[in-house]
Amino acid sequence: MKNIQKILMLLLAVSLLWSCEEDIYPELETAEPQIVIDAWINNNPEPQYIRISETLPYFDSLSTSGIENATVYLTDIEGNTRYDFVEKTSGLYEWIPSPAYPQIGTIMNSYDLYVKIGGEVYTSTSTLNRVPEVDSIVFSYEPESIYGEGYYAQFYANDMLGPGDTYWIKAYKNGNFLNKPFELNLAFDAGFTAGSNIDGGTFVEMIRDMINPYDTDEAGDILPSYLPGDMVFVEIHSITNEAFTYLNELKIQTDRPGGFAELFSVPLSNVPTNIVGMDSDDLKPLGFFNMSAVSSLGNCLDPDKFAGLDN
Amino acid sequence: MTVMLCIPCYSFGVEESGTTLYGYLKDSGSGEPLIGATIYAPKLGNGTITNTYGFYSLTIPEGNYTIDFSYIGYATITREIELFTNQRYDLELDEESVQIAEVVIQAKSRDHNVSSTELGVHKLDIKTIQKMPAFMGEVDVIKSIQLLPGVSTVGEGASGFNVRGGSVGQNLVLLDDAPVYNSSHVMGFFSVFNPDAVKDVKLYKGGIPALYGGRIASILDIKMKEGNSKHFGVQGGIGTVFSRLTVEGPIVKDKGSFILAGRRSYADILAATFTDALEPGQALNFWDMTLKANYTLDEKNRIYLSGYFGQDKFMFAENQGFSWGNRTATVRWNHLVNNRLFFNFTSYFSDYQYQLLLGEDKTDSFKWDSRIRTTAVKPEFSYSLNANNKIYFGGELLYYRFDPANAVFSSAGQLSNVSLDPKHAYEMAGYVGNKQTVSSKIEIEYGLRFSGFMFAGPGKVYSYEETEPGSRKQLIEISNVGNREPIEYHSTFEPRFSIRYQIDHSSSIKASYNRMAQYLHLISNTTASNPLNIWMPSTNNIQPETANAFGLGYFRNFGDNRFETSVELYYRSTVNQIEYIDGADLFINEFIEADLLSGVGRAYGMEVSLRKSKGRFTGWVGYTLGRTEMKVEGINHDNWYPTRFDQKHNLSLTGAFQVTERLSFSANFSYITGTPTTFPTSRIEMQGYVIPHNAYESRNNIRIEDYHRLDLSVRLDGKKIRRGKERKYQSYWVFGAYNVYAHKNPFSIYFSQANDRSVPGQPVATKGSSMSIIGSMIPSISYNFKF
Repeated sequence: MKNIQKILMLLLAVSLLWSCEEDIYPELETAEPQIVIDAWINNNPEPQYIRISETLPYFDSLSTSGIENATVYLTDIEGNTRYDFVEKTSGLYEWIPSPAYPQIGTIMNSYDLYVKIGGEVYTSTSTLNRVPEVDSIVFSYEPESIYGEGYYAQFYANDMLGPGDTYWIKAYKNGNFLNKPFELNLAFDAGFTAGSNIDGGTFVEMIRDMINPYDTDEAGDILPSYLPGDMVFVEIHSITNEAFTYLNELKIQTDRPGGFAELFSVPLSNVPTNIVGMDSDDLKPLGFFNMSAVSSLGNCLDPDKFAGLDN
Repeated sequence: MTVMLCIPCYSFGVEESGTTLYGYLKDSGSGEPLIGATIYAPKLGNGTITNTYGFYSLTIPEGNYTIDFSYIGYATITREIELFTNQRYDLELDEESVQIAEVVIQAKSRDHNVSSTELGVHKLDIKTIQKMPAFMGEVDVIKSIQLLPGVSTVGEGASGFNVRGGSVGQNLVLLDDAPVYNSSHVMGFFSVFNPDAVKDVKLYKGGIPALYGGRIASILDIKMKEGNSKHFGVQGGIGTVFSRLTVEGPIVKDKGSFILAGRRSYADILAATFTDALEPGQALNFWDMTLKANYTLDEKNRIYLSGYFGQDKFMFAENQGFSWGNRTATVRWNHLVNNRLFFNFTSYFSDYQYQLLLGEDKTDSFKWDSRIRTTAVKPEFSYSLNANNKIYFGGELLYYRFDPANAVFSSAGQLSNVSLDPKHAYEMAGYVGNKQTVSSKIEIEYGLRFSGFMFAGPGKVYSYEETEPGSRKQLIEISNVGNREPIEYHSTFEPRFSIRYQIDHSSSIKASYNRMAQYLHLISNTTASNPLNIWMPSTNNIQPETANAFGLGYFRNFGDNRFETSVELYYRSTVNQIEYIDGADLFINEFIEADLLSGVGRAYGMEVSLRKSKGRFTGWVGYTLGRTEMKVEGINHDNWYPTRFDQKHNLSLTGAFQVTERLSFSANFSYITGTPTTFPTSRIEMQGYVIPHNAYESRNNIRIEDYHRLDLSVRLDGKKIRRGKERKYQSYWVFGAYNVYAHKNPFSIYFSQANDRSVPGQPVATKGSSMSIIGSMIPSISYNFKF
């Protein structure tokens, strides 16, 4: 149900006539850096990346944080196959497909992550879950949506039968990933949470709808999502239930529309992790490891299909 | 319990043969019963006070007496009474006419501050509340009590109020005996109580008598007016935010009366207040209606009906938005069993519901509503044994039905019901207490309340297993339970005690001890309490919260009761206080109990108060120095940490100056230490997102900026006398300014990514934001009338 709260909060994030919001940069407590392992691997036949960095002070966006010279690899749970990641740039480790191994992972198998930095070893494990096909992507023209008049896209797909499938749905407009925290689109079966009981059905409208970008211009007015000629590309990534919880928490902590919505916001709390370090570590490792299967589909907003509907 | 009843019997065996003077005291102008009026026999140095229904009973030895009947704001009547047989004596007191030297803000009786056993209790007369400036020119019961020492709020936008560091859900708010689960309209800007219909407001922070129970921090007991039983009257007002109208009058003159009071906000103005872009279909409005009727059947019997209905709506588009509202209905029957034994039987129903609607059309929509319904009966007896002992006893039996979520999803036309099962519970209580005058210097009030709670079926029972302390519990099994089958039973003995030692006629020392139990919990992990928070019963996973509260105070009046001062120390320790794991999911979550933790709490502090209640200038200064903290296994490394309501200093200055008979100024100033919050130390870069992170896993380690605000208002009364006669039509204007020097009091500080849309490969900047609900000065005007 958290996504509903998110939508609610966005709709409430209108500025209040007598309220006031200011940017501030308060002094924050300093802390020792912690290792962050950002490992989201999918089974597409293309290079895969793992990023290893350390935490920086919250307001520091300029310092480099990549950790170099780490040993990084994945294995399947029986230990039969090993996928080595080689450092490409500072902190970024790459696995390149080869004829023998065009992609990582088979569905329903589990995989282990192994990272060694200096003398410390970090591990994690994840299962590659199944994913449904994207059936279609349709555009429609909405003259009266609360987000403004214009073209909106929706994808149609059905959750796989059997409760407990969780997904991360990514959308790309003209090749650019819709990466705002508000646009983070998650599904539990076909709904928002375990309690939804919508197993095997079509994804609910609010999820289907979330492939529209939310951008505002300088005046704060919402820009049209898609214009004729725009391309939209939708990927459904299967994620483990643990990853679903993780991304939900991530969204709550990063998606702060502000304004009136702050009346419903929760205080800051740390997101969990599934990276395991040695017990002797004073500073626990952070980050997440997840294996995904991906299905995808694209479409282009063809102005000819909407001839006569403009104005 | 039999032992306790006999104690007074033994010491006063001889005086059982006294004679009783009893009856009702009312206001001569309206017929309203006077609550807490004094009946005093100077010869004995003893007396009694009227109860909630205006009834008194005084049993004293036979003889000739001079009896004083008095009530603050009314002219005292002195009568010579020959008391040789039991005698009924009803009386009507006249209100003192308003003069420049009139007492405007007063305690219950001239020296009540010093002489009563009440410690940690505040009574606010509606006239006091009406003289205080409020938000947008509208006087308000809850805003007024927030100016009392020990009472606070976390800021504009927060529903409810906090008492001695307790959370909003730890206060029991009663409207004519029925509980009100959300006492705020529009996120706390206004309360649900229409001041035109309110007669009496009493806040018990400490020294809570045995007849009250159910929450651990405070009891706010609001009594509505009965309605004028002598002639019709209309009053109302037109303000910047809403209008109100009240009609009252007799059903049968002097035997029965009614009052009907309503308020409605102006949809567009209020919505425009809160958004600078008013889209079609957007609306933010509320209405409420209070009605009451009573009828005196005969000399010994009287019946009362009360009802309250209110609704708030926040629509952010056509068919999309949320709304919430309370409905209460109370039926009461008073019966004079004999001249010493007063019986009241109350039965009530309370329904609090809120609803969320999303989706532009029926094929794709989401509708959710949540409700808590309470049905109860409450018999109460009070027995005036003699002038030194007033015994009271009674009980309460309640049935709760919780509907945490009735939710229906429609997706591409397919309907899904994602409702959570309703929960059922029963609460019962029995109490006995006595208010006893031990000697001319010592008065004590003591009692015992026994409360019990049963969480029952039909429904599902969830069993969990602890994993790591401070993290989500693991579900082990779900079992089903049949209708009314008990799942879990809790009970608590709640002793209550308070004592007053009168040092001399102008000073006293008081002490009190209460043990309180709370079986319902308001679940909220948001910055401030808001309408989407839910109430939950104690279950097999959630224990009742219990508290032991101690108070000690010194009371002193100066200058012939011109100045009342007090210093009160309090300490309250709580067990099983509810807390939440990091990342708790509290919204339509079937497994919500897995995310709840319980810990211990302690709140302690000192409240200082100084009131000037006579003269042209009246007012008070309230200062509280306090601390409230919690300790929960798994949170903040098992150390004590401040709760969200920990506000070390809380200073309120309120004053009213009567310039001429028609013109008065009032002002109030509040200064409250900033509330605790958690700041990040570091950033985690994950998949292009920047996540704030606190490396020390602390909770509430930082304070936001201190809160301070000044409000001013001017009240101009219309001419009261025209051509030598008192005008029937009375009116007054109120001009106000809220937050006069436009201080931006931050409500919350949050951290997020700065750029509108981050570009992959580019650094992602972050920022902090300070959000103030009210950042400017808000002027207001209202016109009020009465005839």
